[in-house]
Amino acid sequence: MKILKLISRLGALNVSEIARRVGSNYAATDKHLRLLEAEGVLQERTYGRVRMFRFSEGSAKAKAVQNLIEVWEQANNK
Amino acid sequence: MRTRRSVFKDESKLDINYVPSRLPHREKERRLLMEFFDFLLRFPDRMAQRVLIEGEVGTGKTALAQRFGADIVMEANKCGIKVHYLHVNCREYRGSFFLVLQHAVAVFRPNFPKRGYSAEELLGTLMQCLDEDNAFVILVLDEFDSLVECEGSEAIYKLTRLQEVRQGRPQRLSIIGILRDLSLLEKLDASARSTLQRNVISLEKYGRAQLMDILNDRISLAFEVSTVPEDTVSLVSGLAESESGNARFAIELLWRAGKYADAESLDEVVAECVRKAVSSIIPMLRKSELESLGLHEKMLLLGVARFFKDSSKAYASLVEVERAYAVVCEEFDERPNSHTQTWKYVQFLSSLGILRTEIATAGIRGRQTRVSLPSIPAAELEKELSLSLEREHVVK
Repeated sequence: MKILKLISRLGALNVSEIARRVGSNYAATDKHLRLLEAEGVLQERTYGRVRMFRFSEGSAKAKAVQNLIEVWEQANNK
Repeated sequence: MRTRRSVFKDESKLDINYVPSRLPHREKERRLLMEFFDFLLRFPDRMAQRVLIEGEVGTGKTALAQRFGADIVMEANKCGIKVHYLHVNCREYRGSFFLVLQHAVAVFRPNFPKRGYSAEELLGTLMQCLDEDNAFVILVLDEFDSLVECEGSEAIYKLTRLQEVRQGRPQRLSIIGILRDLSLLEKLDASARSTLQRNVISLEKYGRAQLMDILNDRISLAFEVSTVPEDTVSLVSGLAESESGNARFAIELLWRAGKYADAESLDEVVAECVRKAVSSIIPMLRKSELESLGLHEKMLLLGVARFFKDSSKAYASLVEVERAYAVVCEEFDERPNSHTQTWKYVQFLSSLGILRTEIATAGIRGRQTRVSLPSIPAAELEKELSLSLEREHVVK
């Protein structure tokens, strides 16, 4: 959930940056990202040696998760 | 209590970053630039362009590129083509190819990691981003010479020959290099140079009349009506012309002069405000330089200073200068020198840069020499000279 909230807030991010921001190690973060990718929520883009993750374009699951986070954040901010 | 009005209507129109909707005396060059990039609107992925814009400081290179940028992006939007105009000042990025590309990539992928990659990898990333977004970039490298100096031919070669490693894929990156002098490219090897110098737009220095047009354009946007007299515009244009026709200098000078007018609650930006503004930009004449003048040169200069202090005029005729000089001579019990000698004093002071003389056509009466005090505030000059002459008088 931390990863999803982070990507929802900042957009596409690389693995190291996600790991640093959620306070986890690279391997564990990579594992979570792979799972989310396999579920069709996130998609990976590789730029040379850099792997960046963002919400999958055109995925209903990704859209639903983004909506959930948005509503959740709005409710928390009230 | 009446609130004091400012001479300014909108100061931001005199800001260095403001891009006017019209560029006086650069319309031809703007059209040429649009011609060079016409293909981008018709066959966007078939060609990439390389253009160099060359010209002295303040000749409108950056303004021309930015005006063109805004225009082409607007035209491209109408055609449904994603064109990005990216203006990068290479000097701000210490002439580093890596930092320039890092900035460019960050426009498309703001969270792209900042470290750990070569410039070449970043260039590849930039092209990948453009492919993904189906976008085109006009990358403007301002102060291009700084990039050339730091990175040499290698970086330029990579930029201009990019498509050779992207055979068959859309051409997405066009380059505009902005520099002061093409000779700065001599450091590049022949192959890098040849890819650059096909399309060159050279901007000539602005002349006085052109600077006046530019100033009048900005005045109508930035100042309240009738707050900047024609004489002031002429004085500022003359000063900017002697600063290599630098329009940026002229605009900044006018802004400063406006600030002095406001500070003194004046309704108009008079010539004295310009002189104060100049002295805040250009180092003031040193006292020792005034001390080294002869007695009559000082008296003539004092007369000129008083004339301009008491008048809002920017120019004095020779007759007016002679009259003012005669009054000062009387004050110090000296006999004024002849007309020819007075003219020599004026010429000498002009050669020192204290006064400026120019020939003006005065209607049917023919040509007339007019004198101005371009860069020293008249009040300060009067104070300095009065003290100096009084000291000399006491010694006598």
